[in-house]
Amino acid sequence: MRVIKQIMLDEWRYWWRTKVATTVMLIGLLLTVAAIVVNSLEIEHKAHQREHLQHTAETRFVEQPDRHPHRMVHYGHYVFRTPSPLSIIEPGVDAFTGTSIFLEGHRQNSAMFSDQRQSSGLTRFSSLSPSFLIQVLAPLFIILIGYASVSREKEAGTLNIMITQGLNKWHLLLGKLLALTTSGLLLLLPLILASSLLGNEESGLITTSFILGYMLYVLVWSGLVVAISALVNNNSVSFTSLIVVWVALAILVPRIGSSTAASLVPSPGKLEADFAVLEEMRKLGDGHNAADPAFEKLKTNLLAKYQVDSIDKLPVNFRGVVAEYSEQKQAKVLNKFAEQRMSEELEQAQIARQFGWLSPTVAIRSLSMMMAGTSLETHHRFLREAEALRIDFVQSLNRVHRDKLDYQTDVNRYKGENKAVVDASNWQVLADFEFAPESTANRLAQSMPYGLQLILWCVLVCLLLAVAIRRMAQ
Amino acid sequence: MAFTSSNSFLREASFIAKQRYVLVFFTIVFALSVFAVWSGLKETTAQTQTIERLLEKDQIDRANMLAKQKDYGGAAYYSFHLTYSSPSPLAFAAMGQRDIFPWKHRVRMLALEGQIYETDADNPELSFLGRFDFAFLVSVLLPLFVILLLHDLRASERNAGRYDLLVVTAKSQRHLWVTRALVLTTGLALAVLLPFLVSAFITQAALADTLLMALVVIAHLAFWLVLTYVVTGLKFNAKQSAARIASMLLAIWLVFTVLIPVGSDAAIDELVASPAGGEISLTQREAVNNAWDIPFEETWQPFLAEHPEWADKTQMESRFEWKWYYAFQQVGDQKAAALSQAYRAATEHKDTLADTVSFFSPPMLTQRLMSNIAETDTASSLAYEQRVRDYHAKLRQFYYPLLFNKVAFSQEVMTKLPQFTQVKSTEAKNTQVTDTEAANTNKVSSTQGQ
Repeated sequence: MRVIKQIMLDEWRYWWRTKVATTVMLIGLLLTVAAIVVNSLEIEHKAHQREHLQHTAETRFVEQPDRHPHRMVHYGHYVFRTPSPLSIIEPGVDAFTGTSIFLEGHRQNSAMFSDQRQSSGLTRFSSLSPSFLIQVLAPLFIILIGYASVSREKEAGTLNIMITQGLNKWHLLLGKLLALTTSGLLLLLPLILASSLLGNEESGLITTSFILGYMLYVLVWSGLVVAISALVNNNSVSFTSLIVVWVALAILVPRIGSSTAASLVPSPGKLEADFAVLEEMRKLGDGHNAADPAFEKLKTNLLAKYQVDSIDKLPVNFRGVVAEYSEQKQAKVLNKFAEQRMSEELEQAQIARQFGWLSPTVAIRSLSMMMAGTSLETHHRFLREAEALRIDFVQSLNRVHRDKLDYQTDVNRYKGENKAVVDASNWQVLADFEFAPESTANRLAQSMPYGLQLILWCVLVCLLLAVAIRRMAQ
Repeated sequence: MAFTSSNSFLREASFIAKQRYVLVFFTIVFALSVFAVWSGLKETTAQTQTIERLLEKDQIDRANMLAKQKDYGGAAYYSFHLTYSSPSPLAFAAMGQRDIFPWKHRVRMLALEGQIYETDADNPELSFLGRFDFAFLVSVLLPLFVILLLHDLRASERNAGRYDLLVVTAKSQRHLWVTRALVLTTGLALAVLLPFLVSAFITQAALADTLLMALVVIAHLAFWLVLTYVVTGLKFNAKQSAARIASMLLAIWLVFTVLIPVGSDAAIDELVASPAGGEISLTQREAVNNAWDIPFEETWQPFLAEHPEWADKTQMESRFEWKWYYAFQQVGDQKAAALSQAYRAATEHKDTLADTVSFFSPPMLTQRLMSNIAETDTASSLAYEQRVRDYHAKLRQFYYPLLFNKVAFSQEVMTKLPQFTQVKSTEAKNTQVTDTEAANTNKVSSTQGQ
């Protein structure tokens, strides 16, 4: 143990003396701090803005005057998705999804106005998110700091001296690894601090696992750097091989993954599905037209139930009954297609995530998104919750239509002064919408496969270190 | 002289051809380029096929709908129209902003603002991970390839102990390094460009565009070649190790590829104020839904301000008439127009600023030039949006005379429904002229109708 510590301290001293490593570390630290500050200001602003918009949308809805209930079905409502606390560090898919949805009768709208659409387009490769810096640039910094950690000793011939003096090779590598890992962790420090500060907003278990994931990631890269530095004979080759590895793992594989996923699972898109939706919807009949033959059976059943012979004599407004009935049927069709689309998207995403077995960067990215609650799954849950809210308020309004509006008045609504309206007090049907990130247990469970990928990478790196030791013995 | 230089070029080429790792490197680069081009081709083919399928379905769907209609109001309400922007022949090389900006819509005569922001967007997680397209290979990876190949031009020979020997045997020291660098870069250029050129030939892209794009690639390559050559040749670097020189080059790459774009993006965001998109649709919705409950006059007034020609046709016989319905749809658009305009102007402004900034970042410049040539940039997406707006305006011009003049419904009139046609952005200017002509003829016919 003493020896390992000694080697680690020596390494630190060397970095301090040569200044290169300290410069790299300083730059890395400055970047991460800047990213965290900029991002948290932005996210706070957005959270504030969206809460405000949500509140405005809700107040405007209930403040509407007396009117026909179906008008309110079309007046519709907005939901805004507030960012999760950890999105300060990992914005995930949020910038690409759009975070507001307009809810109305008979339709499922998609989320609109994604941030990326309103950005300058300069950030298609990189973004100022702390997660990008740690996932893609931190490995490069670790390489710059540590590529020579063992090869340097080889070049100078000091390695042989140390070994002949009886130094255990494992101790040597562990000392170097520890030194490099601590410098990597230093880069991670702002991220660790920032996520711990979110303490009361995010569950401790999530924050801890989130940080732990990133620590594993730093460990994997430090291990790779030390192993390769030990495997080759000079600094130059070590450097070149490590840069090649970095380009492959951190830049190439993630993108090849997403391109492969897009090619393997074609997604026909919403527009194309809409034709099928429309076709099925038309079979259901037009909910605006109570005379549509599609509702003949509904009518007979209703007449039988209340034992009357014409819809005028029904105790309920038949047009409201039709509206409620067809909305429910439509929702079923809409949900069927929405679920199909979501599962296609998820299938694509899962193919891209499988590339985590080939690159630790893909693994940490999936893990990080899952933990932060900024993954595709969370977005889909937002869509589902928005849909639940939509059907809830639309059907409440349809029930008001059914129970509180006289059929005759309703039918003659466009004639003369007759106003088919209900009291504005009926607009209180709106439930407060608040979107919370997934439960801790759920997020942990979803992150499991990607945690496993990272652990596999740790094992791989250990094996590589063992190989390096063997080679050094020869 | 020319003879000797081509001679030494060949000498170096045969020398390098014997180095196995260089050949492996070129093969990998070639394979990457093939993959990038292949996945781009696959994507654009899928997009073209999607548009074809949609066009066919759209046609059938509308025909079926129209057959059942009995008045123009209903016909306008129920018929959707496909608008689209096909990928250009070179889009496979630079997918640009096509995964973020929509390239297909189905619009109808209702207020447009509520429809135009609907995006049939790509999978957000894949967009977030980013695609591996040819433009990405060229703008982000190519510099790294150059650095990897050329950073140790001198140092490797020095390490191998051949440096002095080489310098002595060569005619001129500079000549030797230049030739060697040129040989390596030519190999790299061939590995990168060959798959692209073959695909451009397959997609029958215009020769000028193809050459222009190849030129951009070569220019970017040349920039990094010169930069690497200068940095490795600095006196200060004569004593530095190859790894040190490479770190320096990587730092430059980092500044150009990450720091400048990311920093400018944040600055541009701060600089250009844009209305929240949500405000646009809230405003428009509010206007459209209120219209049912306010006196008709309040709808007619702003409508007539735009369309004075219908001033004496606004009397209502029932509490619901289609002409009034579409009038308040248009008023909804009018109320949101200022916000919508500001939103688009902000996008455009950000794009122009980004253009300026990219002059300080060669990789960004390369990427933007490539998607500009491939017509997949923000400007092309905005141009498509404008075409949708123009088309929607044509629909209104078509229906208004029919609705306001109470023309009896005839299926035959519906066959003259304006069709969305896609024009290349280069031809856009010419079509604008015909658009105004069409508007004029429409006005004439509407006055005739009275």
